[in-house]
Amino acid sequence: MRRYNKPARIAAIALAASIVVAACGSSSSKTTSTPSSTSPSTAKNGGTVTLLMGTAPDSLDPGMGYTTQAAEPDWLAYTGLTTYAHANGSAGGQVIPGLATALPAITDGGKTYSVTLRKGLVFSNGKPVKASDFTYTVERAIKIPWGGSGQFITAQIAGATAYSTGKAKTISGITTNDATGQITIHLNSAYGAFDNVLAFPSLGLVPTGTPFTNEPNNPPPGVGPYMITNVVPNASFSLVRNPKWTSMNIPGIPAGHVDINAKISSNIDANTLSVLNNSADIFDWADTIPGSLLPQLKSQASDRFSQVDLGGSTYYIFMNQKAKPFSSQLAREAVVTGLSQPAMNRLGSGTLAYGCYFLPPAIIGHPSGTPCPYGDPASGGNIAKAKQLVTQSGMAGTPVTVWSETRQPRQAWMTYYTSFLNQIGFKATQKVIADATFFTTIGNLKLNPQTGFADWNQDFPNPVDFYLLLSGAAILPTNNQNFGQVDDPFINAQVNKLGAVPTSQLSSVAGQWQALDEYTAKKAYVAVFGYQTFPKFTSTRINYGAAIFHPVYGWDWSSFQLK
Amino acid sequence: MTRFIIRRLLAMILVMFVISLLTFLLFEAIPNGDPALRLAGRSATALEIQEIRHKYGFDQPIYVQYGRTMKNIFTGQAYSYTQGFNVLDEIRSGLPATLSLAFGAGIIWLLTSIVVGTLAAIKAGRYTDRVLTVLAMIGVSFPPFFLGAVLIYFLGYKANIFPLGGYVKLTANPVQWFTHLVLPWFTLSVLFIGFYSRVLRSTILDTINEDYVRTAKAKGLSERQVLIRHILRNSLIPIISLWGLDIAQVIGGGAILTESVYNLHGVGQLAAESIGKLDIIPILVITMLTAFAVVFLAAVIDILYAFLDPRIRLAA
Repeated sequence: MRRYNKPARIAAIALAASIVVAACGSSSSKTTSTPSSTSPSTAKNGGTVTLLMGTAPDSLDPGMGYTTQAAEPDWLAYTGLTTYAHANGSAGGQVIPGLATALPAITDGGKTYSVTLRKGLVFSNGKPVKASDFTYTVERAIKIPWGGSGQFITAQIAGATAYSTGKAKTISGITTNDATGQITIHLNSAYGAFDNVLAFPSLGLVPTGTPFTNEPNNPPPGVGPYMITNVVPNASFSLVRNPKWTSMNIPGIPAGHVDINAKISSNIDANTLSVLNNSADIFDWADTIPGSLLPQLKSQASDRFSQVDLGGSTYYIFMNQKAKPFSSQLAREAVVTGLSQPAMNRLGSGTLAYGCYFLPPAIIGHPSGTPCPYGDPASGGNIAKAKQLVTQSGMAGTPVTVWSETRQPRQAWMTYYTSFLNQIGFKATQKVIADATFFTTIGNLKLNPQTGFADWNQDFPNPVDFYLLLSGAAILPTNNQNFGQVDDPFINAQVNKLGAVPTSQLSSVAGQWQALDEYTAKKAYVAVFGYQTFPKFTSTRINYGAAIFHPVYGWDWSSFQLK
Repeated sequence: MTRFIIRRLLAMILVMFVISLLTFLLFEAIPNGDPALRLAGRSATALEIQEIRHKYGFDQPIYVQYGRTMKNIFTGQAYSYTQGFNVLDEIRSGLPATLSLAFGAGIIWLLTSIVVGTLAAIKAGRYTDRVLTVLAMIGVSFPPFFLGAVLIYFLGYKANIFPLGGYVKLTANPVQWFTHLVLPWFTLSVLFIGFYSRVLRSTILDTINEDYVRTAKAKGLSERQVLIRHILRNSLIPIISLWGLDIAQVIGGGAILTESVYNLHGVGQLAAESIGKLDIIPILVITMLTAFAVVFLAAVIDILYAFLDPRIRLAA
């Protein structure tokens, strides 16, 4: 899962700025959905723009990078066998052929994926691309190791575990033919989201011979519309257009219009002001506009700022099914019934879109038209009903520890949640853990955490990426992701069955995913408190209408163009 | 002098050893701080975690891990676990910004506090002294992140006089270097000016009543000569001592907030980012750098002492 990293100290800086600009007042920003197609305006080529990132990528080497900040540039420099359409909204979630001539042919009951490499492909250093580079790229991602390699490579590709543990010299499940460009991948079992896995920038091809080490300062050559250059760790890097890209003529993957200088600046207030006064051009989508500056943006930059619901992330409270009080469904229902999403939204500077379903709006299976089973989330919680449910459950007075990160607004959300639990009859206390160790702490099964903050941001637009979090198979002794230890036979069976359906056929089982998501909401396994919206904010120099806000990667840097 | 240098070097080695050991053990003691778990990411399997633990040597005894880490640091092969960069290279690239900030601000706060402290002392009890006292208190009370945000908003964004942050190398553009550092210098200096001026005022008031001051006056020296050559010279000793230690702290990453607010990408900002990620190697190296800077500058200050006060001899 890609993480939206924000250092905790930004909270202090934001607080200071809030005081400074308090005279401006505060209000929620407008939340919009992106149009489903790009602007028809004529593209203008040339020039350089400056993009400000609040957090540095974990690594620009695709074999290591796993955060949103890494995926944004890597997506454009390391094209995989498949990739995503360069479009706003749900259209951007569509998997299209990348370096392969067509989407994979899936045979053997979903266990074999076959593609053919396009002819005439070259890396940005001029070296020709071979089919065997794919095997090498996968092996490199395993050995570095890339953060998703366990879940998406070794667990899926036949022979990858043997290679990972040193029992095999190569991955037996991948066969290639350099002469024909044929690549065949055998999986351990059918995994429908494998088309999406092939689109990860980490599986974007790199030349055979690239060191099996993380190269954050000097990312390897790739195949893509851009090349990453001038890397100064934690400070800056550049994306320059790849002169070899246009001649490869790959449909659906446009060449970029401008070169991009990305600067890392942890002071989000200063970043906001810099874009507002045009001393920088792009505000990174994964950063949050400080609440104190939102009114200024609305009044001074309404034509180049909006909060966009990309629909690919869910914020929720986990509730442990294996421990009191949330082993009781009535106790869980009390939380879902009484929790006020408008209150949570205010604490988050108005950046949440309301909802009660685990699958976010852009993911197939999200029950968009179905009313929430425990009341309209936008209307605020029903405290009286929640108190009644707690009494009914027989869990009143049960001590509850609420686990929370230090960063804001997550800590503030859990502070509110703790007081809410006390209000409805529990004896709750808050436990705050450093951000860097929060998920490893609550992921330790011995701790058996009762409840607390959790979030999930899509690795790819496929419901199975979310539902693996609620699958019994995901309960692990360490690094457990199923924090609430949900182990429902119906969910487990559905995840196994629906998870095998290929991405290209997802629409055929959309109804079944929706039924599963409605079932989860009725069982109150988690208390969803909203979907994150993201700032689409540029300087006046940028053609705002033409800039694509992609559902998977946020900003599509190749769509930036100067007016 | 040789004995003095040897003694200082031994002290430096001891301090660096103790600090590095404590920092290393502290990170080992953090609950659920296993770096393998964090390196593996949220969706890692148990097998993957075990492989990382083995690859990085986290499965070895603690003293072996400590020894290997120290060896890597002293051979320039210390790499950040979570960010992948060579830590010494990263510190080297951050040092120009930190040194520019430290020495620029250091000169400002030293000179200003001498003027303010002296003025407050010679006007003790009068209106000027009271005003300076209030200003000093305000300076001490202003947290750098707040003052920085205020200055960036009003002088950077609103008035458009200064840049909104960042650092430009002196060799790249001296004018830009200066304009990018004016606000950070001021922000960092304010707190120290308030503190130093109060200390100096108090020391001058103590020194004024010393016998040698009376003797100087009796010799017929002018008020100005007595103040500068006898009172101020002796009163500056604790100030110089403090200055050296504070500069050392800033060089060793102590200006975390100022560097972060102004996005200077210096050693302090690197320390802040590494602490946030519990990235032990950069933190270890930075704390050792601080220890080195403190011990080194303390030695320099001892030499300055001897210059300021002839009664002090290095042999003592």
